[in-house]
Amino acid sequence: MAKVEVKVCLGTTCFVMGGSNLQELNDIIPQKYGDKVELSAANCLGLCSINWEYSKAPYVKVNEEVVSEATVEKVLEEIDKQLGN
Amino acid sequence: MFIDIACSQKKKYNQNAYGDYFASNRFPNMNRVVAVLSDGLGSGIKANILACMTSTMLLKFMESHFDIEKSCEIIMNSLPVCKVRGISYSTFSAIDCYDDGNAKIVEEGNPDFIWIRNGEVLKPEYQSIQSKDFKNRKMKVYNIQLEKYDRIIFCSDGATQVAMGSKRYPLGLERSGLIKIILNKLEQEPEISSKNLSEYLVKQIELIAPNKELKDDTSILSIYCRDPRESLIFTGPPFHGEKDNYYAKTFMEFKGKKAISGGTTANIISRELNIPVIAKLSMNSGKLPGLSEMAGVDLVTEGILTLTKTLEYLESGNTEENAAKTLMDFLLDSDVINFLVGAQMNKAHYDPNLPIEIEIRKNIIKKIAKVLEEKYLKKVNVQFV
Repeated sequence: MAKVEVKVCLGTTCFVMGGSNLQELNDIIPQKYGDKVELSAANCLGLCSINWEYSKAPYVKVNEEVVSEATVEKVLEEIDKQLGN
Repeated sequence: MFIDIACSQKKKYNQNAYGDYFASNRFPNMNRVVAVLSDGLGSGIKANILACMTSTMLLKFMESHFDIEKSCEIIMNSLPVCKVRGISYSTFSAIDCYDDGNAKIVEEGNPDFIWIRNGEVLKPEYQSIQSKDFKNRKMKVYNIQLEKYDRIIFCSDGATQVAMGSKRYPLGLERSGLIKIILNKLEQEPEISSKNLSEYLVKQIELIAPNKELKDDTSILSIYCRDPRESLIFTGPPFHGEKDNYYAKTFMEFKGKKAISGGTTANIISRELNIPVIAKLSMNSGKLPGLSEMAGVDLVTEGILTLTKTLEYLESGNTEENAAKTLMDFLLDSDVINFLVGAQMNKAHYDPNLPIEIEIRKNIIKKIAKVLEEKYLKKVNVQFV
């Protein structure tokens, strides 16, 4: 089965809007999913400036799916969905 | 030629204030550096006041090219008189130096400065000036021409008189002993920085002192003429997006050390030059996003937050281990610092929901440039693109 790719945006906006809390994923994801999920960071996914008036930072990409106003719970939920759990 | 200047000091044993005082100023526009090292009479607070007054006054006089003879008389007359000894006294060494090597040195009472070229100690000629009001005071004025890789060492008498009366050094280490230590170190590390050399010398002097207890305040002021270490920091996307490629190339072609401060900026350079940038989701970065990596670039950090924190560290001197500390070390390791500041605004930063810490990039860079120039004596160029 293909791995689920999770990309956490660490751009300035995302980071101050709560992205810093998403660093917890670094502990949770390997524990919960082992090597089924690959976690990485991005300097800036560029999503905040596309739709800035309705900025919903922080953003996380789970495969191609964008999780806006991301929290640890929301990201895990999306991962579960993609894994078909 | 860059004039690398640093001073290292150690207090007399059991004193809580330095009796020597060092003051300096750099004028990047005039390619000029002025520095004064003064040793106040006695030790502790009293000496500290005398030395501090002497250094700061003399620095101001020299900066404004005021006649040196008159300056000294004014200083002597304004120093408070010691109750115990009935005199007012402080010694000093001062240098006014330009990047082309032209230097004027004035000494009064401190040990003669040490001028080293190619491992040899030079003996420059000087003019002796007798004070009109103070009979026991004589100044030495030198006009010298420095060359690249020359070194000049000033010291207070605490350095040359250390261990005086001991079996090994009945007359103290003396100037000749200090020269030996310096030449030895320079043979091992010909390119040692002024900061490291002055710290090393003070440490050695402390080791020589019986029980490592210094009997007098000890200062070493080191000057090293060398090629400047340059660095370039690219922060913020250029205002005209169509010039991204040009600026990315300019950045990469820069010969000194390179840093990128900004996620979008890193992405632009990555896109234009097709070099991948790898962000690290590091855990212990605390309140700041961690570092990223890019081939050919020495340091990649997030932008505004890291810069704001770096400014705070530069101003206060207190740091924590994070990306801002790494950026601060990067800056302090350079003599000439160039900022390439993209003027395009990040619309997302104007969201009213965002915390107030997000400042305008231009302002932060201006403040960083100011503190680097004034507090750390760096040469700073800022270019907005």
